[in-house]
Amino acid sequence: MKDIVVEIEDLRKSFGSKKVLQGVSFKVHRGEIIGYIGPNGAGKSTTVKIMLGIEGNYEGTVKIFGRDISSGDVEYKRKIGYVPEVADVYDSLTGQEYLTFIGELYGLSYDLADYKAKRMMELFGIGEVYRSRIASYSKGMRQKLVIISSLIHNPELLFFDEPISGLDANSVMVFKEIMARLAKDGKTIFYSSHIMEVVEKISSRIILLHNGTIAADGTFSELQMHNKEGSLEEIFNQLTGFNEHADIAEQFVTIVGEE
Amino acid sequence: MRDFPSLKVLDRFQPLFRRFGVDYEVMRKILQVKFIMDRRRVPTVLSQSNNETKKEMKEKNHFLSSLWVYVLFGLFLIPFIIMGDNFLFQMSLVYGLIMFFLMTAMISDFSTVLLDIRDNNILYPKPIERKTISAAKFVHIVIYLSLLTAALAGPGLIVGLLRHGIVFFLVGLLNLILIELLVIALTALIYMLILKFFDGEKLKDIINYVQIGLTLTIMIGYQILIRSFEIVDLFVQLEPAWWQIFVFPIWYGVMTELAINGGANSFLFLLAGLGIIVPLLAIWSYVKLTPTFERNLQKLAHHGKARKEKRSKIRDSLLKFISPASEERAFYRFAGIMFRNEREFKLRVYPSLGFSVLFPIIFLFTNMDGYSWEAILDAGKGKAYLNIYFSFIMIPGIISSLQYSGKYKGAWIYKAAPITSLKPVFSGTMKAFIVNLYLPVYGLLAVIFLALGGVRIIPDLILIFINAILCSLICFVILEKAVPFSRPIGTYKQGSAITIFMLMFLIGLFVAVHFASTFIPYGVYIYLAVSVLAVMIMWRKIFNVSWDKVQ
Repeated sequence: MKDIVVEIEDLRKSFGSKKVLQGVSFKVHRGEIIGYIGPNGAGKSTTVKIMLGIEGNYEGTVKIFGRDISSGDVEYKRKIGYVPEVADVYDSLTGQEYLTFIGELYGLSYDLADYKAKRMMELFGIGEVYRSRIASYSKGMRQKLVIISSLIHNPELLFFDEPISGLDANSVMVFKEIMARLAKDGKTIFYSSHIMEVVEKISSRIILLHNGTIAADGTFSELQMHNKEGSLEEIFNQLTGFNEHADIAEQFVTIVGEE
Repeated sequence: MRDFPSLKVLDRFQPLFRRFGVDYEVMRKILQVKFIMDRRRVPTVLSQSNNETKKEMKEKNHFLSSLWVYVLFGLFLIPFIIMGDNFLFQMSLVYGLIMFFLMTAMISDFSTVLLDIRDNNILYPKPIERKTISAAKFVHIVIYLSLLTAALAGPGLIVGLLRHGIVFFLVGLLNLILIELLVIALTALIYMLILKFFDGEKLKDIINYVQIGLTLTIMIGYQILIRSFEIVDLFVQLEPAWWQIFVFPIWYGVMTELAINGGANSFLFLLAGLGIIVPLLAIWSYVKLTPTFERNLQKLAHHGKARKEKRSKIRDSLLKFISPASEERAFYRFAGIMFRNEREFKLRVYPSLGFSVLFPIIFLFTNMDGYSWEAILDAGKGKAYLNIYFSFIMIPGIISSLQYSGKYKGAWIYKAAPITSLKPVFSGTMKAFIVNLYLPVYGLLAVIFLALGGVRIIPDLILIFINAILCSLICFVILEKAVPFSRPIGTYKQGSAITIFMLMFLIGLFVAVHFASTFIPYGVYIYLAVSVLAVMIMWRKIFNVSWDKVQ
């Protein structure tokens, strides 16, 4: 089974008395684009952070590229790229300084990192700020920079958490196309987002997390079959047992109008 | 990317790091990036005198240029070193001062390094061992603290070498290394303890107050140091006592004493032993506890507990009394909250407030003959209350500070909200300044001088308060105007020298007229009436500023 990139078995994690993950298991194959979705606080980011080794102290096993990550060997991270939801960046550095630094941390030579970073910035249409401080970037520019930093070392496994937030429609198109091509090249992508339309379109498989367990796992059409027909958004609402949106909205608007 | 001399020095220790399983190449790269970032940061000691605007801010290591301040403090240590052979006392004092400076600098300027959680989010997903990341952090702090120690203790150490010989120098060097280790480990351990029981917000508050304290200490340090030379003449004989076990600096004073003057007192050997063992033990536990620390550090990212809502009937009616118009009340309340909560604002303004309290008192003492209770009472008689006017010196600076904020970008809300007139914005903020910032300073001083001068000075005290308001209003008129909390702190300017001089002259005028009025029957009351009238008229007029007049 060389094709299995990620294998998680009965993953549990709690923060204090709060149980965030209560037995999550799944396998991910090479070339899949996983739409990793769930309501706020369902445990999505926690799963990703555990896989990246940012969070420790979990129960269960997590194997990436066939190796248990709890062994303390960090080598597996060399083939992972990560775009966090809220991306911390050393923003007093320039784009060039930051990206070459990140590249070097992954073992690229300075020149190669510099060349790749510059070309990718140019292709994203922000080549002119390559030598400016990141602090001066707009939200979209920053996001592009973070995307580049996640790809510069040619990773095999990618974790994208709301990667398109702040990008304009054209850039989103470019990025979606990039993802499709990366998957075709055999890269595996974890895509977390709250924008269901995008997840529906790009994912080859959808994993829905709810209250720390997996509520659904399958292709979009499989999900449609098991549930009543509809968009992913409706399936999401149904599976997370949420149906009072009309009621809440009504109350909300009433309060808006109160004098 | 540029290379740094300190990294070249570090290269010599390469095998040492490798032995501990640290990936030296990666650590070096992380440090390189950290140094670049540090060149773009301004440390606390310099932030008070930083008049550069953002554009002019050249890329240089502000830390390195702040070292001369420490060299200056280091020069003040020299007299203590050369004055005699009573090392136990002298050197305990010197090491005490050094520790104080290292500790405060560590907390105010290196906390950002120690508590940087961006590291976790940026570096943890990369293929780097945790050990390497922690080592980079530790080395980063050690390098800077060593430079600081060298600046602070260097002059003294060289003078000591000439005066007391090579043994003194070597013991001094060893002591400084031990002290440095102790300071780093102690700070980290204190943070660990705080983070264990409180959340990150509390820790940030504590750090903020230490920063404020440091700035204030440096501001009054010159005053104190000059006076302290008088104390130096007193020859203090420090006898061994059990409590010395707990006073770190004395350990190192003892070490110097033993090394040079010798001695066979077993208690002194115990103290010296502690001086060596405790830092090593502290560093060892720091290294052991680092993983726990890093985990607790994540708390910094979590939001603090919700505060209890402090609201009472009395508070509400007081608020309504101070600020009857509801729109103005909103800005009054907002400004008050900003004064309390914004750490950068506090760092800029609170030391001045502290100074406002201390300045009149220092001048009171300066006019004393001798150091006795009678002397204080004597000094407090007559027109000593006029000293309170010294607290006015800070008013112009604070009034202009009101425009600045670390989160100045939030000011878009002024433009977005339907604010037709800026009057309530300015008057609300001014009221908040008077009530929340100036009144506590004044109140404290008034109580002190009332205790010294008796009830007869009450009319004068009231007059001083009214004059403080008048002075604030005049400052508002003269100084450049901008919407409160709307300008970035980096662009801070104290105002042109001429404006400041004019305002100083104005304060002098207040004092002079007050002084003169005391010779005229009912003079104080006449002055009071005039001031009240002036405040009332100005309050009506000056806040009517149109949008295009503000920056």
